[in-house]
Amino acid sequence: MKITIAMINMKLHNIKITLLLWAIMVLNPIFAQQQVTIITGATIHVGNGTVIENGIMVFNNGRIVDIGKTMSSMYKNARVIDAAGKHIYPGIICMNNIMGLNEIDAVRATRDFSENGLMNPNARTLIAYSTDSKILPTATFNGILFTQAVPLGGTVSGTSSLMKTTGWNWEDAVVKADEGIHLNWPGMHVGSVPDENRMKQIEKQLQEIKSFFAEAAQYSKTTKPEITNSRLEAMRGLFNGSKNLYIHTESAKGIVSSINYFKLQFPLMKLVLVGATDAYQLTDLIKQYNIPVVMNNIHRLPSHSFEDVDQPFKTPGMLVRAGIKVAIANSGSWEARNVMFNAGTAAAYGLSKEEALQCITLNPASIMGVEQQIGSLELGKEASFVICDGDILDMKSSKISAAFLFGEIVELYNDQQRLYDKYMKKYGLN
Amino acid sequence: MIQQFIKRLIFYTLLCFLSYTCLAQTTFPVNGPHDVRQTCFAFINANIQVDAQTLITNCILIIKDGKIVNVGTGIAIPGEAKVKDLKGRFIYPGFIDLYSNYGIQWNSNNKGKNEQYTNNKPGAYAWNDAIRADVNASNFFQYDEKRSNFYLESGFGSTLSGIQDGICRGTSVLVCTGKAHEQKLILNRNAAAGFSLNKGSSIQEYPGSAMGSIALLRQTYYDADWYSKQNREQNISLEAFNKLKVLPAVFEVTNKLSVLRAAKIGMEFNTTYIIKSAGDEYQRLDEIKTTNSPVIIPLNFPKPFEVEDPFEAQFVSLSDLKHWELAPANPYLLAKAGISFAFTASGCSDAAEFLKNLRTSIKYGLTETQALQALTTIPAQLIHAEKQIGALRAGMMANFFISNKNIFEKEAIIQEHWTLGIQQFVKSDDDKLLSGKYKLTLKGYEDAMLSISGTAPKFEAILFTRDTVKVSIQENLGLITLAFKVNKKAEEMIRIDAWVFEKNPNSLQVQSLMGKAQMEDGSYQSFLASYVEAVPPKNKKDTITKVSYGAVIYPFTDYGNKVLPKQETYLFKNATVWTNETPAVLTQTDVVVSKGKIINIGTGLSIKDAIIIDASGKYITSGIIDEHSHIGIYRGVNECSQAVTAEVNIGDVINSDDINIYRQLSGGVTGCQQLHGSCNPVGGQSSIIKLRWGLPPEAMKIAGADGFIKFALGENVKQSNWGIETSRYPQSRMGVEQVYYDAFIRAREYEQKMKANPKLTRKDLELETLLEILKGKRFITCHSYVQSEINMLMHVADSLGFKVNTFTHILEGYKVADKMKAHKVNASSFADWWAYKYEVVDAIPYNAAILNKMGITTAINSDDAEMGRRLNQEAAKIIKYGNISEEEAWKMVTLNPAKMLHLDAQTGSIKIGKDADLVMWSANPLSIYAKAEMTLVDGICYYSIALDAELRKYIQSERQRIITKMIQAKQNGEKAERKVSSVDENYHCND
Repeated sequence: MKITIAMINMKLHNIKITLLLWAIMVLNPIFAQQQVTIITGATIHVGNGTVIENGIMVFNNGRIVDIGKTMSSMYKNARVIDAAGKHIYPGIICMNNIMGLNEIDAVRATRDFSENGLMNPNARTLIAYSTDSKILPTATFNGILFTQAVPLGGTVSGTSSLMKTTGWNWEDAVVKADEGIHLNWPGMHVGSVPDENRMKQIEKQLQEIKSFFAEAAQYSKTTKPEITNSRLEAMRGLFNGSKNLYIHTESAKGIVSSINYFKLQFPLMKLVLVGATDAYQLTDLIKQYNIPVVMNNIHRLPSHSFEDVDQPFKTPGMLVRAGIKVAIANSGSWEARNVMFNAGTAAAYGLSKEEALQCITLNPASIMGVEQQIGSLELGKEASFVICDGDILDMKSSKISAAFLFGEIVELYNDQQRLYDKYMKKYGLN
Repeated sequence: MIQQFIKRLIFYTLLCFLSYTCLAQTTFPVNGPHDVRQTCFAFINANIQVDAQTLITNCILIIKDGKIVNVGTGIAIPGEAKVKDLKGRFIYPGFIDLYSNYGIQWNSNNKGKNEQYTNNKPGAYAWNDAIRADVNASNFFQYDEKRSNFYLESGFGSTLSGIQDGICRGTSVLVCTGKAHEQKLILNRNAAAGFSLNKGSSIQEYPGSAMGSIALLRQTYYDADWYSKQNREQNISLEAFNKLKVLPAVFEVTNKLSVLRAAKIGMEFNTTYIIKSAGDEYQRLDEIKTTNSPVIIPLNFPKPFEVEDPFEAQFVSLSDLKHWELAPANPYLLAKAGISFAFTASGCSDAAEFLKNLRTSIKYGLTETQALQALTTIPAQLIHAEKQIGALRAGMMANFFISNKNIFEKEAIIQEHWTLGIQQFVKSDDDKLLSGKYKLTLKGYEDAMLSISGTAPKFEAILFTRDTVKVSIQENLGLITLAFKVNKKAEEMIRIDAWVFEKNPNSLQVQSLMGKAQMEDGSYQSFLASYVEAVPPKNKKDTITKVSYGAVIYPFTDYGNKVLPKQETYLFKNATVWTNETPAVLTQTDVVVSKGKIINIGTGLSIKDAIIIDASGKYITSGIIDEHSHIGIYRGVNECSQAVTAEVNIGDVINSDDINIYRQLSGGVTGCQQLHGSCNPVGGQSSIIKLRWGLPPEAMKIAGADGFIKFALGENVKQSNWGIETSRYPQSRMGVEQVYYDAFIRAREYEQKMKANPKLTRKDLELETLLEILKGKRFITCHSYVQSEINMLMHVADSLGFKVNTFTHILEGYKVADKMKAHKVNASSFADWWAYKYEVVDAIPYNAAILNKMGITTAINSDDAEMGRRLNQEAAKIIKYGNISEEEAWKMVTLNPAKMLHLDAQTGSIKIGKDADLVMWSANPLSIYAKAEMTLVDGICYYSIALDAELRKYIQSERQRIITKMIQAKQNGEKAERKVSSVDENYHCND
């Protein structure tokens, strides 16, 4: 069966395209089982920097089996989707956010991202992740298929997991469980007054972090300790390389001192800087150790009044030019749906569009160690992608007409579209 | 010699005693025999600064009973006078400090308590505790030895001392700083009134913002006026306030823009305040000059900052760096501008700092006469005390000090200070003449040399024997104590008590010290040190070798300009023009701008003397207007303390220095409505400005713009998300409606009352503002979320006969779009905000599109300093979500907000005759890749990529230059301090 672009009627509203496609693919018994699917005519943005104009992508059993300008073999009984004039992108990955953990920020009962106390490596976002969140579908709607659910607060906030933005439950939604531990490094700046007290405070915080990590390192050397400590247990992964350490720090001094400490004490630990507003001042240091950086919220004001007014916009470009692996993230919950526009702005200020895309696809996947599965549209990888009417990074054309997760179509229609339709109908505006 | 010291000691003690007896109050009984002494003194051979302009050499001053009897050359000396030969020393009239709380033992006794809405002080006082019109500083004044010494050593013989607490601070008292009974020290119990914008220790909620303080003060003027005409109420505070009106008034503010704010209030009530400011007046000289307000300025110049650490130094702003450099020039620049000013010692930590900075300001160009005027005649005149103090003429108070040299010379010290004809202290200038190299006569150390350096009370000493050893040295009541180990290995010390034995009668240099030494073994030996030669002076560099400083920039912050950009004639060639008119898009089109207006649009245009800009490939649009902004606001966006605060006005607190104004220009924004927050059902009045970067607050306002006011509904006004229990009405949406009805009904009744009896009706600023709404002269922008409340307000408005102009946020507007259409209300919304609180769970990004499709004028606003510079992107989201045309989307951030702010006749589209508020974009303005390359306001280029590049370079080089200078100053011995520059508050509705 051939699904023509006529079926995906350009004149129809976005949502309806999705609906139509969804209806065809889910309700039609032909699609009930997995079948070879060929998408033709689209501009394929691979996610690794390359673009295939008028490309063909074939997937089967959830995986990409063919991709390029032409097909490498013939596929029988394949369904064909004509996506001429459209753009295909890997499913967007938004790192460092609390979607699924925070529903309504002002309502305490809906907040599940921060635990009591300072050292909570054992607090796991995975099990608090609510696939029934009303926020997640709005991210999916924009093409975000994966989210790094991170804990906040305290010194060691907890353990994050990489999740799908859709799923029946957290078990179903998980892509990589417990992939990293999040540490809030102290501010490191002396501030105004009282001078000494502030210094002492920082010193104390540092001491607490250092002794906790030293203890955890010691603990991780024995497989069966006499007394089990769940906090220290959770830290093991940092010392055997199975978990990332996400260091949340913004200032130049924070970046220098945290890198300095961990590289001297635990040279093998997998470090990732998160936030790192001032990273542009330290590109050489960060590059020297090949530490990836998760830039958070490109849409922000400069940190200091003297800074270039567009500094936050151009920082990702400066880092990428220095050879640093950059992911672009958007913290918060509902705000995360704008992560691609953060990348778009970075593309206006120094990155190429494909490099910017890589910052929300392949680079996050690679930082979290899932680059063999997702993050780019390459042979053997998951068929997790979105079809977009135009440039996904530019809001005026960033309209997703379909999304596929592991080869299966994802429902994009959600409460927001339902309300839209309801009231358009009420006013006779259709 | 020791006798001499002892004599001096006795004299000191006696002096204190004397001062009591000779100036004892006539009404006070005396315990024991009366002891009245002669109080007539003649000071001869003096250089007398009889007033700021006149220095008379070889002059005589005669005082008696605390007053000056005569001053001049060759005058007769009365026989009773004790004659003091000053041998060419200087006499100055005691300085006058108009801003202090010297000797005020004040405690408001306010204890912290949440949510106090009216004054709970016992007594018939005003409703607001920050109006302390009734307090008189003389009721709390007491001689304070420590502070007295500070003033006397700084040269101040008198000060205007007040209770520095509250917005109206009652009456200040003019006092002498010396020692005497309070009854004598007070020169005037009712010397001046005091004001500020700070509620001080009042724990009442109101006012909770600077604009609230201003509104309260205004209303108090009207209340007091009303009070004087009525007979229905007794009110201690208002009664006192009316008495204050005749006094000179000192108004304390904390920055130069508040000088303008205070002066503006003064103008409204025919008062010229004497404004105590912060020392940054040079940053707004022209505007301050225009107010005609005299200012009181401090001499506490900033210390250099710790800026060696480059990362840490990033926290210091250019304005703080530049202020460090320019602050010492402030007095000179004020004088040059012809602004009348007085100095205060307020803010200086000690006399040395005050005198040092006074001398520094001379180095920066202030003349000595100007400095003296600012310390004597001007303050005296400002408080109408010029017949008593501020000069040395017959009949005036005998308040003066004696210095060894011209007081502006670096080595000058104040040796004696006389107030009320009483000598307050004596400081000999021979103390320091102890320094020198001495040859020792001490058993076993015959060849040793002792080197003493420094001045009293801090000396340093070194002993040269076989080793060079440091000697600890102290001078105490004339005895000089030395202690040292003869070499590093020695176990015991030699300790010596010595005294001055001989002095050179002319130079007063100590010639020998005699003493007793207790040796290492405990035995006593005679000690003699004979002067050999002077110690070569330490090469202490003068920290100010060459006076130079960078330019004042406007505004005085990063990205300020040395010279304000000017209106130019521009010819943009071959642009794609988005007109917001018909046709909407013109390609290959020229636009001509002249005298602030768009004067031509077409092809192949030319005009003489124009700056020609090749705009091929570029887009030109009218500037973005942010309907809902909170940038550029000083000290509080919300006056949360009452449900209705229509009397407060954002226009009173514009902060023209906010860096975000510049940042928004870089995003193509040319104008905005500065809104009050959303804390209460009726918030404050808005200010509608253009982003004229560099201009002062009043010049940012759009002349002739209609008045607007903020209303708010929902969770914020209910205080739902405060995290604590609150009691302010309303707590539910039910109460919100009632607040409106009540307020507007009160306003109507007020109108009737005013009509019936204008003289006896109290002018009420809150109700006057509400009345403006009812009369269609002021327009509402209402913060709103859920449909029920939106509906409610339209009902309230309909039933009372007014219209809601704009619903802002209006996230559930799509649910009542038909009703809104019927009410003819505008909508100003977010593109895609939602889920941050309960009332926005149904917010959808299609809202603006639905409203727009319904024919409601719809805008996209920011409510956020960051998003404000990307409103083009936010508008583009409506295309994404709501499938509207680019033209419609673009109007949402330009013409539509202009319409709802009633500015569309002058701005918001590209049309001949309209204001040249234009932006040139690098690409389709709705594209995320578009950059504003040039932003014009009134035909003035306030931002362009080229200008920005220059400013970046300037900032960089200024920072490097000043930081280097600072580090040098520190290396030259100046004490440096840590500095973290304050960041302008970025407000949102909820703040």
